Amino acid sequence: MTDNDVIVAEGVVKTYDDSGVPVHAIRGIDYTLAKGEFTAIIGPSGSGKTTFLNVLAGLDTPTEGEVWLSGKLISDMSGKELSDFRRDHIGFIFQAYNLFPVLTAEENVEYVMLLQGIPPGERHERVMAILKKVGIAEYAGRLPMQLSGGQQQRVAVARAMVSRPSLVIADEPTANLDSKTSGALLDMMRRLNEETGVTFLFSTHDEIVMKRARKIVVLRDGKIDGKASLEDC
Amino acid sequence: MFIRLVKFAWKIIWRNGRRTVITGLAVGLGLGSMMFTEALMQGMAAHMIQTTTESWMGDAQIHRDGFPDTRNINLTINRLDSMLSMLDGDSTVSSFTARILSPASVTSTTELKPVTLIGVDSKTDPEVTMLEAAVDTGSYLSGESTEIIIGYKLADDLNAGLGDVIIITVAQADSGLSSSMFFVSGICRFGSDNLDRYSAFVNLTTAGVMLGIPGEIHEIAVQFPQAEMGADISLGFRRKFTAFSNTALGWPELAPQVGSMLSMVNISMAIMAAILFGLVVFGIVNSLFMSVFERMYEFGVMKAVGTRTGTISTMVILEAFWIAVISTVMGSAIGLLIIWITTGTGISFGEIEVSGIIFDKPIYPVLRLSRIWLYPLFTLILTTAAGIYPGIHAGRLNPAEAMRKSL
Ligand SMILES: Nc1ncnc2c1ncn2[C@@H]1O[C@H](COP(=O)(O)OP(=O)(O)O)[C@@H](O)[C@H]1O
Ligand SMILES: [Mg+2]
Repeated sequence: MTDNDVIVAEGVVKTYDDSGVPVHAIRGIDYTLAKGEFTAIIGPSGSGKTTFLNVLAGLDTPTEGEVWLSGKLISDMSGKELSDFRRDHIGFIFQAYNLFPVLTAEENVEYVMLLQGIPPGERHERVMAILKKVGIAEYAGRLPMQLSGGQQQRVAVARAMVSRPSLVIADEPTANLDSKTSGALLDMMRRLNEETGVTFLFSTHDEIVMKRARKIVVLRDGKIDGKASLEDC
Repeated sequence: MFIRLVKFAWKIIWRNGRRTVITGLAVGLGLGSMMFTEALMQGMAAHMIQTTTESWMGDAQIHRDGFPDTRNINLTINRLDSMLSMLDGDSTVSSFTARILSPASVTSTTELKPVTLIGVDSKTDPEVTMLEAAVDTGSYLSGESTEIIIGYKLADDLNAGLGDVIIITVAQADSGLSSSMFFVSGICRFGSDNLDRYSAFVNLTTAGVMLGIPGEIHEIAVQFPQAEMGADISLGFRRKFTAFSNTALGWPELAPQVGSMLSMVNISMAIMAAILFGLVVFGIVNSLFMSVFERMYEFGVMKAVGTRTGTISTMVILEAFWIAVISTVMGSAIGLLIIWITTGTGISFGEIEVSGIIFDKPIYPVLRLSRIWLYPLFTLILTTAAGIYPGIHAGRLNPAEAMRKSL
C-alpha cells in the first residue's frame, strides 16, 4: 500500500443469507484504487457491482477480508468514525432517488456541508459554484421532481463533489438516463476528475459510460475477471 | 444545524399530509375528549360538593371534642360566647348558624319512628342551609315553640300531614325523659334520606328547653365564600376555631364519602388518561414506522453520505415533535371548544343518584386551568417521546440493506 492508494481491498468475500440460502455475491477480491483514477466497474446485472462498491465504501461489512480507506482499516473504525469519514472523504451518486424530495436542489447539495458544520455564507458560495460547474445553477431553487432525470443526477454529482471528497463512488449513475444524457453526465464527471483530481469509481453496464472510463474492472460472478474484454459485457 | 433539521422534519411530515392530519386529528380528538372529561368531572365534583355542603352541612362545622362520635348531648360547644364573637369577627366566614342535635323518637297517632331532632336558629339558618327552600308544603319556622318541620318521607311513614299532631320524646341532659307536642308546620323535600326520613326540625330554643340545655348548642355550621375553602387545610380557620376543647372540621372530613368519591374520580381519570395516552403512543409509533419504512431508501442515502445515527434519530423524533404540536393544537382547540359550548348549556343527565347525591340539574363542566394544561403538555411530551423508538430504528439501518430493500 502506498500514500497514493485511495482504497485497498484484500481477500474480500461477501456472502448474503437469503432466508437460509447463502448467496455468494463477492467471492474473494483483491483490489487497489489509486488516487486520480476514473475507473468503471462493469459486469452484468447480479455480478456483484453494487455489493462490491458498498463494501469498498464501508456501507456494508464484508464477510471476509479487509478494506483500507486512505490507509485506515474500516473494521477498526467506530460507526461514528466511519460515518464521519464518508461525510468528509467520499461522495456518493446512486442510480436513482439520490435527492431528498422535500429539499430544493440547492438544499440537497448543501446537506453534507450542513453535517460538516460549514458556516452558511461559505455553504451558499460553494453550492452555487458547484451547481454552475455541473451546469444547473439556474435550477437551484427547484425541487427534485421539478427536474429531469439528467438534471437530478447532475445535482447528485454536485452533492457528491461539494464536500471536496478525495473519492466519488457512483453506482450505475446513468441507469435511468437516455444515452445522450448519459454521455453528457459522464463527460462532465470526467472533466471534474481532470480538473480537481478527485478519484472516481463507478459501476455500469452501459457502453456509453464504459467508453469514457480510463480504466475498466470487469466483475463476473463476484470475481474480477482479468482476461475479459469489453465486448463480453 | 438543529434548526435546519427542525425545518427538514416539518417539510417531511407534510409529504404525506393526509396521514399527518389523520394522526394529528386522532390524537387531537383523544386529547380534546380527555380535556372535556376532566372539565366535566370537575363540574360534577363541584356539583357534588355544592349539593353536600349547601343543602345542610355547610362548608365546615364546629363541635365540642367528642360530640361527632358520641352524639352525647352533654357535649355542647365550650365557651360559646367567645366562639360566636370570634366567628362574627372572622373575615373568611361568610355566614354561620347554631344547632342542637339529639336522638329522639317521634310518635304520630299510628306510628313511632326514630329521628334526629334538630334545633334550628331560624334567623341564621337560611343563610347557610337549604331548609327554607326545601319546605314545599306549609311554611318555614317562625319561632313558635310548637312548630315542627319534617321530611316528606317521614310524613309518609307517620301518616301525618300538615297541621297534624306529633309527639317528640328525648332523653334530657340530666337523664330524664321529656316529651312535647308539636303541630306539623312544614314538610320538606331535600332529596336525601337522611334529611327527608330521619330528621325533624324545631326551633333552637324549643330544643334547648326540651333537652334541659337552654342557651347551649352542639354544632355550628359555617359557610365560606367558596366551598373549596372548607377543604383547604392550610386555611387559618381550622386552627383558630379548634379551641377551648372544640374542633373545627371541613367538609372532606365531615362527608368522607364525597372525598372518596372525588379521589375515585381522580383515579378513573388517571386510568383513562393512561389508556388514552397508551393508544396515542401506539398510534404515533405505528404512523412513524410506516413513514420510516416508506423512506428506507432515503435513510440509506442519508447514512451513506455521512449522517450520523444520532442525527437520523433526532430527525425522526423531530417529526414526532411536529405531529405532537399539530395534535396538541388541534386537541386543545377541540377540547376547549366543547368545554366552552357545554359550560354555557350544561349537560343534563336526567335524574341520577351517585352515593346519596342527586344530580337532577344539568352539570356544567368547569375549566380549571390549574389542571387542564397538564393534558396538552402530556400529549406533547408523550407524542414526541413516541418518536424515540422509530427514531432509533431508523438510525440503526444498514445503508446498503436499506437502499437495496426499497428498490
Ligand atoms: N441483501 C442481499 N441479500 C441476499 N442477496 C443479495 C443481497 N444483496 C445482493 N444480493 C445478491 O447478490 C448478488 C449480487 O448483487 P448486486 O451486488 O446487487 O449485483 P449488481 O449490482 O452487479 O447487479 C445478486 O445475486 C443479488 O441477488
Ligand atoms: Mg447494482
